[in-house]
Amino acid sequence: MKAEIKHRPDYAALHVVLDQGEKVVCEPGAMMGMDPALKMETNMKGGLLGAMARKLAGETVFLNTYTSTGPAQQLDLAPSTPGDMVEVGLSGGAVRVQRGSYVAHFGDVEISAKWGGAKAFFGGEGLIMLEARGTGTMWMASYGAIHQIDVKDAYTVDTSHIVAFDESLTFTVNKIGGMKSLFLSQEGLVCRFTGKGRLWIQTRNAPALAGFLQPFRRVQKSN
Amino acid sequence: MKFDIQYRPAFALAIAKLDAGETVIAEAGALVSMDSHVTMETSAGKKDDSLMGSLFKGLKRMVAGESFFQNRFTAKGQAGEVTFAPTHAGDIEVYTLESSKTLYLQSSSYVCSGEDVKIDPKWGGAKSFFGGEGLVMLKATGSGPIVFNSFGGIKLVEVDGKFTVDTGHIVAFEDGIQFKVGKFGGGWWSFLLGGEGLVCNFTGKGKLWVQTRNPQAFGQLIGQKLPPRQA
Repeated sequence: MKAEIKHRPDYAALHVVLDQGEKVVCEPGAMMGMDPALKMETNMKGGLLGAMARKLAGETVFLNTYTSTGPAQQLDLAPSTPGDMVEVGLSGGAVRVQRGSYVAHFGDVEISAKWGGAKAFFGGEGLIMLEARGTGTMWMASYGAIHQIDVKDAYTVDTSHIVAFDESLTFTVNKIGGMKSLFLSQEGLVCRFTGKGRLWIQTRNAPALAGFLQPFRRVQKSN
Repeated sequence: MKFDIQYRPAFALAIAKLDAGETVIAEAGALVSMDSHVTMETSAGKKDDSLMGSLFKGLKRMVAGESFFQNRFTAKGQAGEVTFAPTHAGDIEVYTLESSKTLYLQSSSYVCSGEDVKIDPKWGGAKSFFGGEGLVMLKATGSGPIVFNSFGGIKLVEVDGKFTVDTGHIVAFEDGIQFKVGKFGGGWWSFLLGGEGLVCNFTGKGKLWVQTRNPQAFGQLIGQKLPPRQA
């Protein structure tokens, strides 16, 4: 398998070349172009229960597996937002990825939905994460640039800017400031990470763009 | 306080490096991330303002299309960083204000500033009315860094004499330049049919920053295609 992220940083896309029998698993809808000789299968990752959990996490239930039927077959994958992509190497541990940022993986990697429990509820849909565990490579995408922070102690991120983080980091979802800030600051909830590990954040967020566009919608007159 | 702007020009991120005890003031909603020993406080005015004074400042800002409240981020006990980003795809610039100077900013271009920079809405009266909301400008005085963003790229124009800019493309300009809003030069016919709308005619000498995309035009393009909202 050879992989290269091209068209960085504004409109990154993943170019993969697979040898006979090699497989890449990806988010349905990510396929941009492919060698028609590649064999595509749709699987429920982690069995039915895993699929249900992924459904609840807002991810599509199914992942697509592309298997090469000969030497040097090509596959091009693209995320839905303008922005960058990064490759993350996994060597037995796990990385938690914001739903929507997961693009694809290669190797012995299991994808599952992770429940944050009550804190996920308070964090809104954005804080139900996917977990990529195993040995291999994962590719993920951001809206805007991806900024990596090596957390040594503690670090705080607006929830809508989180892309992914190492499982070695623990987090709590908090409001910042006092009660007045909660209602007036227009800052949403933040995630406070503690521990030591990698954290990836994105420099733009989709809810803010949707909020900007809201007043431009036509108004439907009520009868 | 130092600013490092990364990921230019399409998806710029402003990283504010604060010394212990330093404060950076930011547009509500601009926060991306921060060290955990940085605290945030929300206020309508400066900390030493009276309640009424503070409320009045907040209201003035709201008229200017800025959010009513600003957030103050302070590094407690040790140096720390805070990062900010605007809503739109585009670039970020840092301008250092000197006490004898004034910088005018399109209200949606403001990101954050040092504690000694005073931000006031400058209500331009009738000319702002005709210029649409985009021409209600913020007036920045005092001293220290002020950070602004563009939708698209930022183009610096060294005005010496006259220069004309479409109102939706203005980002900021120095106080050596006067502006007057008018219709595009081609007469009423082209004003109505030419799609150029209103322009700002600048005269004088100073720096002017324009953005290579127009947020209103983008909002209209996408907004019209979204399902209607309830009245």
